[in-house]
Order: sequence, then structure tokens, then C-alpha cells
Amino acid sequence: MKSNIQRVLIASGAVFALAAPFAANAQEGQEVVRDRSIAYVMTMEEWAMHKTPGAKAECPNGMNEGPREQFKVLFPENGPKRTVVGTQLARESQIYFPEPEKENMPFKEAVGPVVPGVNLDGKIDADDFTNADGGKGIDNQFFRVIGCVSSYRDVAALMVTKWRVDNSFNRVVIELTDVDDLVNDPDVTVTTYRGLSPMLPDATGNGYMPGASQKLDMRFGKDFITSFKGKIVDGVLTTEPADYLMPYQALANISTQLFRGVKWDLRLTQDGAEGYMGGYVDLESWHAQRQESISTHHQSYGQESSPTVYKALKRLADGYPDAAGQNTAISSALHVRFTQVFIERPAKATAQAGSQNGISR
Amino acid sequence: MQRFSRFAPLLALAVLAFAQPAAAQRAGERETYEHVPMPSGFQVISTELEGPVFADARGHTLYTWPRGGQRNGDAGEQQGRPTCDDTKYTETAGLMSPYPAGLELPELATRPTCVQIWPPVLAGADAKPVGKWTVVERKDGGKQWAYDGYALYTSVLDEMPGDTRGGRRGRNGGNGGDGGTPRIVAAPPTDIPAQFGIYSVRSGRLLALSSGFSVYSYDKDTATKSNCTGACLRDWSPVLAGETAMAKGDWTIIEREPGVKQWAFRKKLLYTRVADDSARSLEGSDEAGWNNVYAQKEPAYPAGFKVQDSYAGQVLADAQGHTIYIYNCIDDTFDQQGCDHPGAPQAYRLAVCGGGDAARCLATFPYVLAAKDAKSGSRAWTAIDIDPKTGRHAAPGQADALHVWAYRGRPVFTFAGDKKPGQVGADGWGEFHGARNGFKAFSIRDDFKGNAG
Repeated sequence: MKSNIQRVLIASGAVFALAAPFAANAQEGQEVVRDRSIAYVMTMEEWAMHKTPGAKAECPNGMNEGPREQFKVLFPENGPKRTVVGTQLARESQIYFPEPEKENMPFKEAVGPVVPGVNLDGKIDADDFTNADGGKGIDNQFFRVIGCVSSYRDVAALMVTKWRVDNSFNRVVIELTDVDDLVNDPDVTVTTYRGLSPMLPDATGNGYMPGASQKLDMRFGKDFITSFKGKIVDGVLTTEPADYLMPYQALANISTQLFRGVKWDLRLTQDGAEGYMGGYVDLESWHAQRQESISTHHQSYGQESSPTVYKALKRLADGYPDAAGQNTAISSALHVRFTQVFIERPAKATAQAGSQNGISR
Repeated sequence: MQRFSRFAPLLALAVLAFAQPAAAQRAGERETYEHVPMPSGFQVISTELEGPVFADARGHTLYTWPRGGQRNGDAGEQQGRPTCDDTKYTETAGLMSPYPAGLELPELATRPTCVQIWPPVLAGADAKPVGKWTVVERKDGGKQWAYDGYALYTSVLDEMPGDTRGGRRGRNGGNGGDGGTPRIVAAPPTDIPAQFGIYSVRSGRLLALSSGFSVYSYDKDTATKSNCTGACLRDWSPVLAGETAMAKGDWTIIEREPGVKQWAFRKKLLYTRVADDSARSLEGSDEAGWNNVYAQKEPAYPAGFKVQDSYAGQVLADAQGHTIYIYNCIDDTFDQQGCDHPGAPQAYRLAVCGGGDAARCLATFPYVLAAKDAKSGSRAWTAIDIDPKTGRHAAPGQADALHVWAYRGRPVFTFAGDKKPGQVGADGWGEFHGARNGFKAFSIRDDFKGNAG
């Protein structure tokens, strides 16, 4: 069986995107593994999904409807006098304080059986998917929720990457340390950081040059630092699970997303990395993050109805049960791509300054 | 040119009492302004939050309402065409999205008209234009003062001379967009050299270049000599003055070396920081000995509040480090009434802070309680009494009233979901990312998205 990352590279044509910059660095003979460490900055993210033309295979019942369409059904123009409190605020209440038992709008769930992702629990369960190479046990129930919601596909999905590379609040840098061999190493450590430096686009404007520097945010970004134990086999990095708080930004709006039990599955080269970040999306963290990032107005563009999606999330959640046995997280995977960078660590005095110069009290 | 009105001496005590620099600011450190011609009956008052603003004879701040675009149309006024009148709107205008026009507004029976909230500054029949001050005609045939073409109003939210509760200016004031079309303070031009600008940020009126990039001062300098030389100049660039630049008021010029002149403000030589890659940066103040420069700082926060590092930068926090939030709200009507204060309908806030349930709202977004005898030392921060069942102002003597802190007359909150210091879990909670019927963190320094200014 091919690894997940091999499948991704072939499917996306990303081999070419990665191969060119590899050659550039190799020609220059630049040593990118320094002091047994190498770092990468995230340049692309998208939810791991099985997509077919017109979504005909994964969404046999069509795509979901959004807030505008639902409003017309819930509060028809020829019905009782519509009030702000009885319509707009009633719907916004359901967004911020959802009551799934009262949510009756229809929801169209995406179907497999072929879906990319990571086997998070090491098991092959009945509701797991199979990846394109035949690998079984793929835990990606999140796909069932978002697979037929336009917000998460195509143009809307591209915006996520644009926001990721345009801003520094949500810049993700990973550093591999204890690296003796970038192809086979039984024991490495992966640490996530927030990077602060602008990205370095390549001549096409569509990619990013390896070899740029990234200054780490060791002051405000401490919450985004997480370490994972891992290994590299035949150039593919896999890690043990750990919880990871990921910074998010959409438009100018910031938020965070807690992923439980994250496992990385990345093909590494000197110039880049590509693969999956699998993990369980914490539902409450997700719900807050989504509303704070993407307002009802913006969700309407992608026909994403928060109360309806939340109900589906609760129903399909498959991990981290609470004391009452209700699952609090749902398995997912992000398809991610990285470009190699050199880390610039801030001076200790600045990193810990906590300076309030210029600030009243 | 007339700097103060004939009423100014009579108001001196009131102005001194309520519009003087707060305790944390050094005496005299108030933003200066150009003394432009004004009609009689008006004055300029130095305010805590917005610097110098135009005020009426009582010392009440004057506001304009420039037109601003929203999702489905514009609101506000064009120059020379006041629209704020005694129309009582009953339905939403549909300027926003995704909800349609025609929804009946909350609390219609007590809904005020635009002029009841924003009394127009009427002009007498014999009023004559002075400088940028002109007289415009209202739809009812009356005359109204205008500045720079925009009709002038006062705000019923302002209680004292120097209050600016009706609106802000600069980036905080905004001009349309998802936060609505707010009123903005009418202000005289700032008295600074052309290559500089003053920008409203949460920490004060920040001095910067006209491009927006912050300027800094260096503790090791004297008023006449720069000690940033050699390697220092790799990180800091002196703000050079042109050959014809002239010293004036707070602004002086030194000669660093023959033929090379450098600006100084209040005897502090000015620099920009080479590493700054965004406007209005406060990052340079992290460097030992270097400081951002302000025309005036915001008043000190009341005792019990503190500045807290968070993953979004620095925020205001309570004594336990829990982030403070501000609630923003403007309704979707043609007169754009604020719903962000206790004198307005609370239905909007209750929907997003408690699903319409006042008790859940109190639990999710608790008010920041003030001691019974709490004093802030400024008009920006006041302690007010709130009816916990309604969110409105409490009745006098109401037994279960909550005594809470308010900023610009609006209560501030914490968020129950923030479990440890530095979390900002409700930043953006509510409609339009918290900009409209929603909560935003009280951001003081934001290196990431300009939320603090």
C-alpha cells in the first residue's frame, strides 16, 4: 500500500510543484538540516475530501442550503408579520446557543467510501473510509459533515490558504529536531510554532521559495507551541498523537481551533513537505471558531447553515466522549503543504519582555 | 480667528473638572490643534479619548455622520444634505445581510427618532459661514450648522463637557462597513508638520508618519543630541526634517550633523524602526530604551484592571487576567441607531450572549463588577448601575442592581469560556465577527490585525 502522502502527491500533481524548488536548492548545495533540525512553513491547507466533478459521487442528494434559503422556508414572506426578534435574532440565537433537538432543517451528508485522511485510532471500524490506495481505517467523519457544503469546496476553500499565507496570526511553522537523517530516522521531535515573517513568493506568484527565514513568536504565540514524537520512514514523517491548538484567521478575524489527538503524516524533502494533519476537531472549539471567523453573512455565500451543521457535527462526532458518553470531537484531516524555512529565534529579552512601554498601566 | 466662544470663561470650571488630562498623563501632554475660524457659540475642547474636538456652548461634543457603504446600500449623510430627522422607523432597512428588509424593529413603542438621539445643532436665521463652518438647510426648512459640509449634531449620550460617547474618530470611528455607519467627532485639524499623522489607537493618540508608520523616542537622547549612532542606525532611522522645516510649538529641530536635521516632539528626537512592517506598530517599544510617542495617551484604567498578554497581542483584563470585552451594536435602519448601550433595546445583545435568556447571558458574559465606591479618575471609565434582568439602566435604589464598570458609558464584560489569563475566546462573538451585535476583545496592542486601533 502506498502511503497517504504518496497518494496525495500523485493526485494533486504536486510532485512538480515540489520538484522544481528541490532542484534549485540542491544545485546551490545549501545545507538545510542544521544542528540536526529543519523547519517548514505551511503554505497550503484544505480539508481532506473526496471530490468528483459536480460532487455527483460524494453528494448524491445535492448540496446543502444556507442561511438565506433556510430563512425563506422558516419565515415565509406571506406568513405572519416578521420581526427582528422573531426571525433574525431567533436564528442568531440558534447559532450561538444551538439546540440540535429543535433544528429541523434538512441536511445532506457526504458519502464515501473513498476518502483521504489518517487512521487516527489504529482500528478499522465500520464507519471508517478507505483511501484511494485501498488503505483502510481512515478516520474522517468530518468529511460527512462538510463534504456537501459549498463553503468548504473550490473557491471558498482556496480562500483559507490565502488567509493562511497573507497573515501572520495564523502562520504555522513546524520544526523537526533530533534529525539525523531526513529519509530514515526512528526518533525525531516535531514542534509547532507561530511564525511572524512575511512569506517569500516564487517567480510564478503561485508558490513559495524555500530558504526564507521565519521569526518565531515566542511571546504571544506560546499557546500554539506543541511537540510531537515522531519517526521518518522512507522520507515519510509520522507522529504520535498530541492535542494542538491551531491559530485561524479569516478575512481580518482571528480565532483558534483545538484539534485533539493530532497525528502528522508528511512526506519530507529538503525543500518542502506535504501530507496530512489528522486529528479530532473539538466540536465546541470548532463551532466558536467558525462563527467568529465567518459571519452568517459570509456563511451565506457558501450556503453553510451553522445550526444545521452543528446538529450534524453532534450526530457524527466519533471521539473524546464526555462523562455522559456524548462524543465531543469528530475525526478529520487537513491536506497540508509546507515550504522549508530557516528559523529565526527572537532574542530572549524581547521574547519575554511583556513590555508595556507606551501602554497605559 | 476665534479659539473659544464668548461662553468659554463660564465653562472653564466644567471643562477643567471633566476634560482635563487623566492622572496617568503628564501635565500639558494634550494634543494640540490648529486654531481654525469658528462661529461664536462654539469652542474646542480637549477630550480624554479623541483629543481636541469641536463643542457647543455647553461643552458638548459635536458629531457628523458621513455617508458610509454597507452590504446592500449606504447610510449617513452627504455634504450639505442632513437626513437625520423626526422620522420614526419601524422596520429594518435591509442594508445588511443575509436578513431581508422589512423586519419589525424591537421595542417600537419607545423607539426614539434620529433627532431625539442626535439633536441637530441649529443655526439662527442670521447665521453666517465662517471658514469651514457653513449653514445647511434641513428638510423641515430649518437651518443647521455644518463643518466641512457635514451637518453637526450633539449626542444625548454625552452628559459632561469632554464626553465623546456619541462616536469616535479615525479608525475607531469608522465610516460604514459591517460595523454600521457611526457618527464621528467633529474636530479641528491637528497641529503637526505635514510629514506626520496622529492616529487613534486603544492606547491613545499615536504619533506616526503620515504613512502611518510609528515614530519612536530613545531614552538615551537629550533634547538636542542624538545618541543613536553607528550600529544603532541599522535598526532605527532618524526622522529627518527638510531644509525649509520650521520649529513650532511642541515641534523642534536639531542638526544631527552638518546639514542633516532631525525632528523632535516635546523635546524627544524622533525615529522610525527599520523592522516595522505594518502601520501603527507598538513593537518598537519592546526594545529597551525605545518608546512609542503619543500626542496624548488614553486615561489610566481603573484599579483592578490590567494589561494582559494573549495570543492576539495585549488585551485589557480584569484582576484575574480574564480578557475584557466590548459589545458593539448598530441596528439595520436608515438612522443607524446604536444598540450597544443600556439606554437602547437589549434584544440584540441578549440573543447573542444568552440565546435570548438574560440569566444565561449573565453567566456567559458577566459584567465586570465595580466596588460600591469605585472611582476611575476619568470620564472614559465610569461605574454604573444595571438591572440584571433587562440589561437596562437600573432604577434609582433598585435592590438587585449590579454596579458595573463601563467604558464610554457602555458596560464591559468578561467571557465564561475564557478559562485562563490570555484567552480571547469571544473576540468576534456575534454578528459580523462581533462588529455588529457582537463582542470584541478590548485589544490594546495587536501585532496581527490592527484590532487595537
